[in-house]
Amino acid sequence: MKSTISRRSFFKSVGAAAAAGGFSLSGLPNLIGSGQLSRRAAADLPRLVYIFPGAPQPDVKKVQDALSAYIADRIGATIELRAIDWGAFDKQISLINASAEKYDLAFTAPWVNNYYTNISQEYLAPIGDRLTSLAPKYFGSLTPAMWAAATVGGKIFGGINQQIFVKPFGPYIRTDVLEAIGLKDDFNKLTTYETLEPIMAAVKKYIATGKDKTLTHVTYNLSPIMTQENWGYDPQDFMLVVKSTDTAAQVKIWSQTDEYRKAAELVRRWYQAGYAPTDVKLWSEQDNAWKAGQYAIRVSDIVKPGGNVEILARWGQAVTSKAIAEPLLTTGGVTATLTGVSAVSANTDLAVKYLELVNTDPVFYNMLCKGIEGVHWDWADKAKGVIKPGSGKTNFGDTGYNPNTDWMYGNVFNSYYADASQVGAWAETAKLNKDARPSPVLGFTFDRKSVETEIASISAAQKEFADPLGTGIVDVTDGLAKLNKALKAAGIEKIRDEMQKQIDVWKAKKA
Amino acid sequence: MSTVRQQLRQQKQLDVDRLMNWLGRSSIHLVLIIFACCCLIPLLLIVSASFTDETTLTRRGYSLIPQQWSTQAYDLIFRNPEVILRAYSVTMFTTFAGTLVAVGLMSMLAYVLSRPEFILRKPLSFFVFFTMLFNGGIVPYYILMTQYLHVQDTIFALLLPYFVVAFYVLILRTYFATLPSELIDAARVDGAGEFRIFVSIAVPLAKPALATIALFTALNYWNDWTTPLYFIRDSHLYPLQYLLYIIQSNVDAMQLQSAVGNISVGTMPAETARMAMAVLATGPAAVIFLFFQRYLVRGVTLGAFK
Repeated sequence: MKSTISRRSFFKSVGAAAAAGGFSLSGLPNLIGSGQLSRRAAADLPRLVYIFPGAPQPDVKKVQDALSAYIADRIGATIELRAIDWGAFDKQISLINASAEKYDLAFTAPWVNNYYTNISQEYLAPIGDRLTSLAPKYFGSLTPAMWAAATVGGKIFGGINQQIFVKPFGPYIRTDVLEAIGLKDDFNKLTTYETLEPIMAAVKKYIATGKDKTLTHVTYNLSPIMTQENWGYDPQDFMLVVKSTDTAAQVKIWSQTDEYRKAAELVRRWYQAGYAPTDVKLWSEQDNAWKAGQYAIRVSDIVKPGGNVEILARWGQAVTSKAIAEPLLTTGGVTATLTGVSAVSANTDLAVKYLELVNTDPVFYNMLCKGIEGVHWDWADKAKGVIKPGSGKTNFGDTGYNPNTDWMYGNVFNSYYADASQVGAWAETAKLNKDARPSPVLGFTFDRKSVETEIASISAAQKEFADPLGTGIVDVTDGLAKLNKALKAAGIEKIRDEMQKQIDVWKAKKA
Repeated sequence: MSTVRQQLRQQKQLDVDRLMNWLGRSSIHLVLIIFACCCLIPLLLIVSASFTDETTLTRRGYSLIPQQWSTQAYDLIFRNPEVILRAYSVTMFTTFAGTLVAVGLMSMLAYVLSRPEFILRKPLSFFVFFTMLFNGGIVPYYILMTQYLHVQDTIFALLLPYFVVAFYVLILRTYFATLPSELIDAARVDGAGEFRIFVSIAVPLAKPALATIALFTALNYWNDWTTPLYFIRDSHLYPLQYLLYIIQSNVDAMQLQSAVGNISVGTMPAETARMAMAVLATGPAAVIFLFFQRYLVRGVTLGAFK
């Protein structure tokens, strides 16, 4: 050990000696001395390697050293941050896993670095027992229902990063347009999508007056209305759903429910009324058009506390929003952001202790998310937990450390607000999560092995027949009949029965 | 009289021939022109988009001629040009150094395999050939590179994979085998050692084949973006093609996240900036190619005949 650092410490001691020998560069000897000490101590501690997707930050080494110094005496480890560019992350992490390369922690979710694949391939270590003993505070901060969502085969394989778990969908409308049409009260009283109709009509009339030069359409994309959560269903894979209030957890085919027909009819009616561009190819341009202010209403998006501020920052549009869908706690919502511990990690205990720290210690967590206080950020209002860019910069992006992915690392409810107008949003979100109705199949995940062939043809049928219904370009009765016929031919009933079987087994085990 | 008529008739026949000829040629040209346009228009669209004002682009979409001229995207990139310059230098280095070493290694291996006197010729040839049919797959490849050779995140990770390509070795071997053995015998009589024979006799004679392989290898290095995808994390070592890939796929990944919902990742790089990046990354290379095209094409065909 000593020999490997000897060269460095040689230089250090020369420097220290030189400084002691009369170079009065104020403060320098101290700096060198302490750096040497902590570095030597750090070299002896186990190093936790943490892999996650993200653009590499210029100042990552500085932050890494600060984080290591912080956790060295708290859990007796140091940390290495290994960010892999988004475009390469999935590929590299799968190779790292498959080759049993050593690392300790990694970001995992059903949508990137697939959580369930990682479990079936035994790339992740089960950490449930350790969570209760080594991370009690963290474990207690989430409800048993939430942990159940991350449980596979009776074991927990990932630490849940708290963020908004529920998806309270609802419409967003440009505030200036809403004020111009004078329907603010009506909008705030919305309870169903049907009641949005008069507002859409009013916006259409407003466009016809030509007062707003950029505004060309009422809305740009109607298909989000078809989202299952909007109609009280927990979406399972492929056109299958479970009603959120159905404790018997009966699996239904989404396109055969009354709600699906209702949603499709609504989309069809609005499409025919000319609320969206007739060229549906344009719909995928909705984000750019939103930025350019070409339409007034996003019919169905996640309405979350602080969401309006986020939209303003991201798209430059001041908006008003109203949640319509009932918040539902689903497996997918909870497992959207997880931190897994590698099965080949030699420091599983330390990794779990790290999870405790990152999820419960705001100082550490925010150092990881926002960088070093006084360098990358400064307090704007310490009492309320609001920060501003550090080192005299006006933009967080210019400070040298701004991954801007708080949700990837831990409990976002501990993160400092970047804008004063967001104050209080975390408490509200936490309440939303806690009060949400747990889905009857929360924690269930479908094993698709026995129905692989059917799945392929289902998605083809879905593309061909369900997508047109979501755009309103086809007649509902006719389109639905075609869709259901195609789904049946593709074998959806087999998948449904298989899923029902698995759910029943899963329920029996749980009880 | 009749001769005049005959002459006239001949003249007419000639005219018809010329017309048909002209029609035939121009129809071929027309087809080729249309094809060329299909190749060029997307490139022109990118160039035009990179010079278009951002909001105009979102509002009115792409057009061949910028609707609202703006160099904002380039200003943005040239505020921080190191990224592209660095990627260029990495690609240049791997292409030149890699090709040099690769051609050296492959020609030596191929030459040895081509000599009938060499005892291990058959097993070694089979060994080379075998890797063409079967390989260990990506995971063992990754393990070898990272856990035995430890080249991840170094320039060697970009260089090593193309040093010896089995197929090129076989092409070279075949070429070396066609050299008359009398030449080699003569050289030996003149007192040349094996290495001398290789350097002074075999290599100069095999120049056309070597040029072809060098070209292929250089293209491999230039276009390679999968190797860095597996082994490079340090953005300082991103080659050009990979940089482009990363820029594009980062945008895709962000869209994926917004599809997942409840997650937002900053703002995406502006459309125009991405286009400008693509222009800067491919533009100079395209110009260089125009100059070298002659040599490249000759290099390819040289291998076809002796």
